[in-house]
Amino acid sequence: MSVLRPNASVMGLPYTAPGNAPRGFTLGEHVDPEDPLEVGNSSNPHGKPRAIGPMGRRFQPYKNNGGTVVAVSGKDYSVIASDTRLGSGYSVPSRNVSRIIKLTDKCVLASSGMQSDIAVLHKVLRIRLTQYQYAHHQEMSLTAISQMLSTMLYYRRFQPYYTFNVLGGIDAEGHGWSYSYDAIGSHEKVRAVCSGTGQNLLQPILDNQVEFRQTAPEKKPEELSLEPCVELVKDAFTSAGERDIYTGDIVELAKVTAKGVEIEKFELRSD
Amino acid sequence: MRNFDFLDAEYAISGTRSDEARVSPDAIDLGLSNSLVVPQVDRPSSFLRDAFANVPEKDRIRFAHGTTTLAFSFKGGIIVAVDSRASMGQYIGSGTVKKIIEINPYLLGTMAGGAADCSFWERDLGRRCKLYELRNKERISVAAASKLLANTVYYYKGMGLSMGTMICGWDKTGPSIFYVDSDGTRLKGKMFSVGSGSTFAYGVLDQGYSYDMSDEEAITLGQKSIYHATHRDAASGGVINLYHVKEDGWVKISSEDMMVQHRARMAQIKAENETSAAVVAEPAAA
Amino acid sequence: MFLTRSEYDRGVNTFSPEGRLFQVEYAIEAIKLGSTAVGIQTADGVVIAVEKRLSSPLLVPTSVEKIMQIDSHIGCAMSGLTADARTLIDHARVQTLHHRFVYDEPMTPRACTQALCDLALRFGEDGKDEDAMSRPFGVALLVAGVDHTGPNLYHTDPSGTYVKWKAKAIGAGSEGAQTALQESYSSNMSMQEAETLALRTLKQVMEEKLDGTNVEIAAIRKEKGEFRIYSQEELKECITRL
Repeated sequence: MSVLRPNASVMGLPYTAPGNAPRGFTLGEHVDPEDPLEVGNSSNPHGKPRAIGPMGRRFQPYKNNGGTVVAVSGKDYSVIASDTRLGSGYSVPSRNVSRIIKLTDKCVLASSGMQSDIAVLHKVLRIRLTQYQYAHHQEMSLTAISQMLSTMLYYRRFQPYYTFNVLGGIDAEGHGWSYSYDAIGSHEKVRAVCSGTGQNLLQPILDNQVEFRQTAPEKKPEELSLEPCVELVKDAFTSAGERDIYTGDIVELAKVTAKGVEIEKFELRSD
Repeated sequence: MRNFDFLDAEYAISGTRSDEARVSPDAIDLGLSNSLVVPQVDRPSSFLRDAFANVPEKDRIRFAHGTTTLAFSFKGGIIVAVDSRASMGQYIGSGTVKKIIEINPYLLGTMAGGAADCSFWERDLGRRCKLYELRNKERISVAAASKLLANTVYYYKGMGLSMGTMICGWDKTGPSIFYVDSDGTRLKGKMFSVGSGSTFAYGVLDQGYSYDMSDEEAITLGQKSIYHATHRDAASGGVINLYHVKEDGWVKISSEDMMVQHRARMAQIKAENETSAAVVAEPAAA
Repeated sequence: MFLTRSEYDRGVNTFSPEGRLFQVEYAIEAIKLGSTAVGIQTADGVVIAVEKRLSSPLLVPTSVEKIMQIDSHIGCAMSGLTADARTLIDHARVQTLHHRFVYDEPMTPRACTQALCDLALRFGEDGKDEDAMSRPFGVALLVAGVDHTGPNLYHTDPSGTYVKWKAKAIGAGSEGAQTALQESYSSNMSMQEAETLALRTLKQVMEEKLDGTNVEIAAIRKEKGEFRIYSQEELKECITRL
């Protein structure tokens, strides 16, 4: 474990790297003459040289590959959807990258953000679910998954997964629930939530059409059932595809009911 | 590495260790283990700040922020009241956040600053309080519980944690409130308000507070203070949640949209205006 | 087994040519010196009871602790080297709390027992694992708890083996007690009957006369899901039923 010991110079102590330790990157190109941690400053004779990259560039580990993810849940179902466009700057390197993962027969996760972090997060989640299955001889419940995801994200508090997650599924009582997350694990159990680049466009639609926010009690319609909900999500995505450059191409939509998970796809604009 | 090992020193008695799984360093890097991962860079404390230095605002990782929370003690115990808005920059991330964290049946914590930081570390505090109880066969005092939290966040000082919380509870010494923040500050006091809307809440609180007020008066004061803060502070809003800490634990008193208070106040102002207008109008007519 | 004693019984890392780990077997022997403990599982819950050996009238009986709570829904009784049990139980407490922390659900008694056994097996002489003991734990536990399947009773021993039982006795009087349990156990007995059977079994095998100070009893009931050690009054009430 000593390999992972952070640079002790953080605490102002001399640092001696173990022989096989990976060399750290440096995150700043300027040299602060007052900084005792900076190489060459007499107060830090043991300072570790900064590994500024060959081009003298900053180490920038994060970028946003865009995409919109949605989870809407009703009394006995949950609908989780995401588009499959992968954006990078003003380019579209791929039009068919899945951001949805079926975790159990009762739980589906959709993540937007940076593709590499999403891939790793999904992979690690798979491993954790399998480990749980072996250790506890039962499938993880929706609530257990929702809490585990939160702690997993927070354990990366200081080097977050650049992912914005929405989780949907059916709990032990058969009720549908959605969970929204920030990048470091703050989460909330809700009916309808949206994350990603289309968030500002979609969330207001869901607030109005699913949660009936600010609708007078006597005017509130009945809660959506599965099929109208699917139609609503499709409409919402179509709208986002019109106005968000990072949302488009194909939408993958997972319907979670007592019967299991069913995934369907439909097309958005591909421009 | 910075992880929960330092907590284990308290968890464990000699000869035991509490980390769940023995995993390879590679697995730790992926987040498979149950410990906080630290970036493998020269200065992990500034990793996040530096990593987003040149990233456009819209693509930065934004954590939920912005709040009004308050707690004060009086004759009948402690009133804890909060709003429910989580803003991420200009966007309202959620209007229904539970900012009062039920640490256990007799301890409450409030949430201001980073939502994840508060809820994670107060959940952690909850398990450590339970462990204390199992080991010592008595409840932990509010002073000790708040110190556990303060010591934990002090350990991470400079790493970017953001937390301003009030730990409220009733122990052998009676009701007590401790303010704890991510700088490591820990203060005992009778009245605190934390968050971007705290100045507004303090104004209403100071003006209406008296130690001898009844439970009903205290509850109303708590609700009013949060309401005025949600009205004037753009980063506060949503639902007003209020708890009352008593000798035998806390009770949830109310969870009410601030608009209810607002409409009531507007109606009252309107009624007052009409009466005074009538009073002014009458002599003129005479 | 003492007849086969040989140079193979001094290290914990050496099998004998017959394929035995003597130090582990000796550790299991240590439990046969311990005070007796019994556990009975019914359809509604689990009762565990232990004998406290009070070697002197000057000894304060309440300071002898042989039943401990692990989490709100799990508790255990011990027999053998009780100091070793404290280490194990503290480990289990941390593990169950950690499980709640990560998964927002109680740990199953089975997984908890597995966690206890993981630690029980972590012994060795090389000293590389700083937290591990250099010898096996000399204690056996009866772990009682409830989960979604109902009440559970597990027995663990120094070899790190765990087995689920309907009724189990450990310690010095375990042979006689186990026979008595086998004769009287019925799967449809009530919790009250289980309390009585547990104490009657202890009474049979105890050298001293059973009274309110030299036994301890605890139970967990399915509907409440809360493990609780009986108060002095509750214990006395159970004894009067004998």
